[in-house]
Amino acid sequence: MRTELCGIEMKNPFIAASGTFGFGREFDELYDISCWGAISVKGLTLHPRAGNPPARIAETASGMLNSIGLQNPGVGAFIRRELPWLADRGIPVIANVAGSSEEEYADAVRKLSDSPVSMIELNISCPNVKRGGIHFGTSPEAAREITARVRACCKRPLMVKLSPNVRDIAEIARAAEDAGADAISLINTITGMAIDTESRRPVLANITGGLSGPAIKPVALRMVWQAASAVKIPVVGMGGIMTGDDAAQFMIAGASAVMIGSANISDPMAGPRIIGEFERRVRELGVSDPRDLVGSLRTDGPPDDGQI
Amino acid sequence: MRGRAKDFLAAVISGREIAPGVTEIELELPDGTKPCPGQFLHISAGEAFLRRPFSIAGFDGSTGRARIMVRDAGRGSGMISGLRAGDSVRVLAPLGNSFPIDEITRRLEGSASVWLVSGGVGVAPLLFAANEIGKKNFGINSFIGFRDAQSVIGVGELEEWGRVSVSVGGLVTDAAVSAMRESPPGLVLACGPAPMLRALKEICSDRGIPGYVSVEERMGCGIGACLACARGVRDAGGWSYKRVCRDGPVFEISEVIL
Repeated sequence: MRTELCGIEMKNPFIAASGTFGFGREFDELYDISCWGAISVKGLTLHPRAGNPPARIAETASGMLNSIGLQNPGVGAFIRRELPWLADRGIPVIANVAGSSEEEYADAVRKLSDSPVSMIELNISCPNVKRGGIHFGTSPEAAREITARVRACCKRPLMVKLSPNVRDIAEIARAAEDAGADAISLINTITGMAIDTESRRPVLANITGGLSGPAIKPVALRMVWQAASAVKIPVVGMGGIMTGDDAAQFMIAGASAVMIGSANISDPMAGPRIIGEFERRVRELGVSDPRDLVGSLRTDGPPDDGQI
Repeated sequence: MRGRAKDFLAAVISGREIAPGVTEIELELPDGTKPCPGQFLHISAGEAFLRRPFSIAGFDGSTGRARIMVRDAGRGSGMISGLRAGDSVRVLAPLGNSFPIDEITRRLEGSASVWLVSGGVGVAPLLFAANEIGKKNFGINSFIGFRDAQSVIGVGELEEWGRVSVSVGGLVTDAAVSAMRESPPGLVLACGPAPMLRALKEICSDRGIPGYVSVEERMGCGIGACLACARGVRDAGGWSYKRVCRDGPVFEISEVIL
């Protein structure tokens, strides 16, 4: 099950997705979190952020909307209070970084580059903050600019997390690659909303939020496939993975590793469960190394039974 | 503190409708689980993506059985209220903080009684708290409100510990205020709809009465990781968002922003 991502050794290709796993402490009370290949921590900004007013979450058909608004203690407090414990767990830590300006991104990444994090995940796709976030990820020019700016001051492998709320995902993926990204991860949530009919009000205080869960899996698979076909750097796939079989599909579409997000919220034991399911599924598929699945999508005709 | 909460398949011991649209469900918790008043169960609801939180209304240490009161308010709670003896359901528990019983009884020492104030199924966590406080021989006066006569629940249980005032259709806080003219409480514990809690907070603040409230918020993971169930709470730096599922659901009435 061992794999590597941008030179980082991982015991398996499973990464806890940013924003669904906090800094790992709560889940470690339920199970040993070192079962993960890596952990991407809650999105960090240079300074602490209070986040959005509640309600911040709404259930939807086969998924959920969230609008947390990047509540986090800031990079400094993360490095002092959370990282020592997490780094001690013996698994790679990926720092997910967001900001409202290029300077803020660069300053945050500079601080994190001197800490024991293994990798930076540049979040240019948060749909829930007024300034920044997704603004940097919706045009190839903006994505190229912020990636290059951060690349220049980042001493760790740099992964750029892409938004699905774009016209052409391949174009954005190439822009990140051209600007020096070592990997890309996708998809972040799809912007959506929910309405309470009785009160005629939005369910979320922020009105709109990000849709995640199995509802978005087909969109995510399509975008991972398109992005992986457009770039040479590794792609980390996510979007509605609930089972080991789902994870295998993302790898077939071109993902070198996968992230598990909303499943952690729906089922607190999702991580170890999905990793176990994947190991069994890989054996069933007769694959000796899960890496052989990556990008193995066949588009050479109808399934073998010949039926059309 | 690993092992504090567990994710388990709970056997349903019984499920019965105790008022129109309100079902009392009894579930078996794993050996060694000892929930405190104020804590909740996060229950999986079939096809619904998110679990649903329910305050524990009572716990029998000898049988390991916990009780919840489920109001059918939609898809998830509707499925859970349909659970009956012989069914089983995925549960993450016990979660959240609790009413600080020792602190409460210390504050009551030699003073007036504790008052419980609730609206609707908000009575549930107060039943559990009453049982723990009542056993220590403190006086308990309850003010419980419901929208109509058919919806009244919990009266018999609370009468074991003291006087119970039931408000039907009106404001339960009005009943509490008029009773305060005779003798004010040493402390209040409350759970119920936001307008009721807001009114009670003002009443307590005006009179300098301390208390604790159990609050509700749309919840995600239930363990404090996803930061969905935020509630503003006053602190040294002004105020900040606390996690209802982890830092709460019980907060000091003077500190929580309602």
